[in-house]
Amino acid sequence: MGSIFEKLWALGPAGFVLKIIVGAVIADGLLLAFILLRRTYRKQYFDRRDRRVYDFRQKWDALLSGEIPYDTWRLNDFDRRIVEDIVLDAFEAANPAESARLLRFMRTTGLIEKRIFEARKFRGWRRTRALVALGRTRAPEGIAALAEGLRDPHEETRNAALRGLARTASPEAAEEILAWVSEVGLQAPALLIQNALINCCRESPRMLLPYLQHAGKEVREMLARVLGEIPVGAMEGELIALAGDDLPELRAAAARALPNAQHGPALETLAELAQDPIWFVRLRAVVALGEIFDRDAVPLLMRALTDSNRLVRMRAAEGLVNRKLEMSAIFAKVVAAADRYGLHAYLAALENAGLKRELETELRRRGSQRGVGHLLTVLSAGKLSGVEEPAKPSADAATSAVPASRR
Amino acid sequence: MIDLLSAANHALFVYYLVCNLVYLTTLLVALQTTARHQQNLKSFRLEWLKESRLVPPITLLVPAHNEEKSIRVAVQNLLNLDYPEIEVIVINDGSTDCTLEELVDEFRLTPVRAVYVPQVPCAHVHALYRSSVDPRLLVIDKDSIGSKADAVNAGLNAATSPYVCTVDADSILERDALLRVMVPVLNDPEHIVAVGGIVRILNASELSGGRLLRVRLPKKSFEVIQVVEYLRAFLIGREAWAQANMLMIISGAFGVFRADIVRAVGGYRAETIGEDFDLVTRMHRHLLDRRADYRIQFVPDPVCWTEAPSDLKSLARQRARWQKGLLDVLLKNRDMLFRPRYGRIGWIALPYLWVYELLAPIIEIGGIATILLAWFLGVLSQRFFIEFMIFGYVFATVISIGSVLQEEITYKRYNDWQDVLRLVSYCFLEHFPYRQMHMVWRLQGLWQYMRGDVTWKALKRQGMGSAQERPPLNPSSNPMHD
Repeated sequence: MGSIFEKLWALGPAGFVLKIIVGAVIADGLLLAFILLRRTYRKQYFDRRDRRVYDFRQKWDALLSGEIPYDTWRLNDFDRRIVEDIVLDAFEAANPAESARLLRFMRTTGLIEKRIFEARKFRGWRRTRALVALGRTRAPEGIAALAEGLRDPHEETRNAALRGLARTASPEAAEEILAWVSEVGLQAPALLIQNALINCCRESPRMLLPYLQHAGKEVREMLARVLGEIPVGAMEGELIALAGDDLPELRAAAARALPNAQHGPALETLAELAQDPIWFVRLRAVVALGEIFDRDAVPLLMRALTDSNRLVRMRAAEGLVNRKLEMSAIFAKVVAAADRYGLHAYLAALENAGLKRELETELRRRGSQRGVGHLLTVLSAGKLSGVEEPAKPSADAATSAVPASRR
Repeated sequence: MIDLLSAANHALFVYYLVCNLVYLTTLLVALQTTARHQQNLKSFRLEWLKESRLVPPITLLVPAHNEEKSIRVAVQNLLNLDYPEIEVIVINDGSTDCTLEELVDEFRLTPVRAVYVPQVPCAHVHALYRSSVDPRLLVIDKDSIGSKADAVNAGLNAATSPYVCTVDADSILERDALLRVMVPVLNDPEHIVAVGGIVRILNASELSGGRLLRVRLPKKSFEVIQVVEYLRAFLIGREAWAQANMLMIISGAFGVFRADIVRAVGGYRAETIGEDFDLVTRMHRHLLDRRADYRIQFVPDPVCWTEAPSDLKSLARQRARWQKGLLDVLLKNRDMLFRPRYGRIGWIALPYLWVYELLAPIIEIGGIATILLAWFLGVLSQRFFIEFMIFGYVFATVISIGSVLQEEITYKRYNDWQDVLRLVSYCFLEHFPYRQMHMVWRLQGLWQYMRGDVTWKALKRQGMGSAQERPPLNPSSNPMHD
């Protein structure tokens, strides 16, 4: 640093300061020139692009049908990128018929082959972009290239491949993902893998079973969460078997999936799971019981209303409140149980569902019956007579107006 | 005496040298990170995220104190954000105007039973209301103790999502801001415990119905300088520090946190002045105490627009308060310094903040004083003085221009070329006299803290609206929510 200053100093102080000022002004000018040139270039580029997009849009049907020879645009990089962008954007909102038409166009024009080639040959960002584009087309022939992308050393590329496979929503893609996961474990964010599998296993959830049985703990837990999110069809037997698994995540997934089983939910299994030592397994079971409109589920939900975990109590209360036809009878049972936390949870769920007034009307209709007066008192006071409510809302008493989807 | 002055002047030179080298390094790191982030964005489609069923819910915590003029629009904007599942909790923090009435009227609020788990301390809660129009909206009506932190704590007690996002009621989030800020979380939910987004200055931009129509650069020179400061702080400073997992502050105006961690550290500390800085520091401490493998991230593209002080008095108060907050948090966490357990936070981040942020006004003003004294005594080396001035000026300008360039090349929110021209010009002009004034304000903050003055001082607010639509100034608006 000293030597630089010495050289500069040799220029003389006044000249040096002047030069610095001039230098700063020049730097300022250069910087502004750079920004202005860049802006001018970008403006021209976007104007040109806009004109071409407009041209293509005007003759879009002719372009798709091939009336306009493909070579008029596909040999020009600028035009080809525009056409591909328009087609890929159209995929996002296309119905099945339109998607098929677009896919045919992509195939005929060789755009898919080009992307497959790029996804296989290139590395880095170019590969990532090719994988994203392939995924957006949802073309089955792209699955192999996307699956190869899962084994890329770069995380972003693997993620792009996974997202691409998720877009295809096909069992073939699910097979590729499952094979990869069982081979290398969770080498991508678990949420991404789960999302991809939920999309791809919808048609054949049974394909998850072998991996659920034999994969490592981490993968099994992840697959269990996938299973809990998709319609499971006629898999009741398998789900009941999973309900006895050592891993709580699997038991919770079984509980979550059971209401969706084709041959009706297995109440006995859910009743067992509702008493599981792990709170989130009980929670899943209680949520499932709340979705089943079976009279036999009511006593199980009543029992869950006195659970030690507030979330379980909350879901049990929501499940009970959803049974609108039996509201007054259920409320009488809640009051009879004399559990103030349970009552609190039930009343909160009632208020959140906007049904408090309805229950009150129903109770008044039955005004002559024995005990109705007491029920009305409890309903309006919000507490059991003779039982002091905590001065402030306590952690245990707290229940919520959380929408049911926030589980 | 002369030797002493000479040594002080040379020490000052070394101080600036190190400081500017750190800035230069952060600039280079930020440029590289931004380039990588831009590439990432090209291969990432936010709409896919929007459709996903597995994106974790977020609770937006919106403390509001005397926000009757803007609260309807602000809440409606939050409810309209692009995100699969949100819950908006507005905390009416003892407003003396019609904030609560406005909310009740607009969103048809009805009282609800306990929704509330008092896991972190806060002032008395009067009631909880849920909207009949949109059940995602919950309003907490509570006593005010004059602390934004206390209000956020009340919201935290009612939040039901695994992630909470603090948003100021007078700020505007871009529609996809939540999706963008959650990208790191989705990529690595196990390790990411907090993510900060960029906060930009709203002054002079055009708004309609609480939506940003056109970004414009403010008219007043010190407002433009604040824009440069924000760009430098966010696009360079936070971006680079986050890369090394040493981000020490996530703006209270917009940040996402894992709710369980925030609760585990006891929520925000109501008695702290810089509650956002304090929270992040305690999160670092909590996680490092448990030897957790975690990351606190910064994402430069989810934008929150906020109003900056538009008069010098308010700006002075804000900066003094920031300095008080800095001193307060650093003092409270001084036991973290140079302890192996706290790793890079204890050895690099906190010492840096002590030396180059907290003590900067003392060192800089002290430096000016020694230079003046040396000149007065006739012992000032003219050569040293010129070297020193050029060095400081050129380096600081390079950093500022670097941030403007980064903005121009990547995010490009200022579309009018005249705005960019002014922005660049102020990179050259901010060093005199603004910088010296800024140092004095910060010194005042330190002095006030030493004297035990830790109260909030009111800032003037223009309110949410375009230049044409703006309501008259609201003198009662709360200073703590800026």
